[in-house]
Amino acid sequence: MERTHRLELFPDHSVTLLLFQHVKNAAALRKKAMEGSIDGALINPAMIVDPFQILVAANKAVHLQKIGKMKTRTLNAEIIFSLSPSNNISDAFKKFGISDSDTAVLIVLVMDGDKTVNLADIASQVEGQQVSLDELPQLTDTAKVEKMYKVTPQEENIGTLVDSVVCRMSTKDVL
Amino acid sequence: PVMAAAQAEAGTARSVTAEPAGPAMGDVRPVSPAMGERGAAGPAVDGPEGEAGTATVAEEPPAPPALPGLRLVQQGAEAHVYRGLFLGRAAVAKLRVPKRYRHPALEERLSRRRMAQEARSLLRCRRAGIPAPAVYFVDYVTNSIYLEDIVDSITVQDHIYSVQKSGDDTSGLHKLAEKMGELLARMHDEDIIHGDLTTANLLLRPPMEKLDLVVIDFGLSFISGLPEDKGVDLYVLEKAFISTHPDTETMFQALLKTYAATSKKSGPVIKKLDEVRLRGRKRSMIG
Repeated sequence: MERTHRLELFPDHSVTLLLFQHVKNAAALRKKAMEGSIDGALINPAMIVDPFQILVAANKAVHLQKIGKMKTRTLNAEIIFSLSPSNNISDAFKKFGISDSDTAVLIVLVMDGDKTVNLADIASQVEGQQVSLDELPQLTDTAKVEKMYKVTPQEENIGTLVDSVVCRMSTKDVL
Repeated sequence: PVMAAAQAEAGTARSVTAEPAGPAMGDVRPVSPAMGERGAAGPAVDGPEGEAGTATVAEEPPAPPALPGLRLVQQGAEAHVYRGLFLGRAAVAKLRVPKRYRHPALEERLSRRRMAQEARSLLRCRRAGIPAPAVYFVDYVTNSIYLEDIVDSITVQDHIYSVQKSGDDTSGLHKLAEKMGELLARMHDEDIIHGDLTTANLLLRPPMEKLDLVVIDFGLSFISGLPEDKGVDLYVLEKAFISTHPDTETMFQALLKTYAATSKKSGPVIKKLDEVRLRGRKRSMIG
């Protein structure tokens, strides 16, 4: 159901993605995440094209944490910030984080060697139905993603949408 | 000896050129035994990088990234290029080789700039619809970059070799040249100067008949609108072409013709190219 991937460059770390639909308590979840009682990043699945997008964000966030160069204060916040094409942190949260009225939530958990997270525990706090990551494409708002990342029509011929998105995420701070 | 790319991998191998030291494309590329490095084992050749071989300072090669299925593709002077799986996708990792003879501040700045230029040019290409690898991750600490691997591709260089060897399909090469001209025109119209145009930096995606080209290796690239810079870019390619592939003058002519037809700003560029040709090396002004 959920998907876990080990970060090759940071072998102690693994990333787990959980997807939920028909969520009724988005507001409460958001509060819990902000307080820290849920140690994960809560993301709006409409802005996510492919789990690879999350992995790239998580990889970058962990990298920055390791070298002490995160732009935000926590790893989970950094993951959300890494997803955004803009350098404005609150904007990133508004667009990629969940809002109180959302009915679908993607939870991203980063686990390292000593820290273990109980997946069932997290899932039980969500008043909704956990679904497989395969359902993600149905939840994606492609038009919104294209607009958010300013994907040009010419790019369609040379690659997939996730390629365009990931490119912008990874080169955001180069310029 | 120059570390050749994975030429040993039968026919379908891709020679990825890391930042080479100038137009060294005229060299014969020796076929070396397979450089297959499974797992996280370091490169087999240690000590000085495989360039002129006269380096007195032993260069520490960067530690290879721990990617599954890791293979060393090329040990260039500027970077070691690896292929492996990154976050579940076929990727190319370019790890810069630090030059210890340089002043560390200069080294850091240069390394950073080259990497930034590569990333910037790749993004610029993609936005304009010019086929180039997607950037997955940029590591500013080690100045390494992780890119999309164009799987099962071959370089235009290898393609031309095999076509010329088998002796047929010269009309296919003509079409290929036209496609190349078109691609370069579009790139230059975006003011992207590649900086190291050779047939080894152009890939063909399968199936080969589609002539689906991808430009790679933007480590020496920069942004410029000057016809001089574009002219020089083409000149580098012309030189690389003619020195690496015999009897390809007509092919390059076709390339230029399509370039001129595709690019709106080609007039001054071609003019500059002619000028640069006259300027070129070993042009004796003595009667």
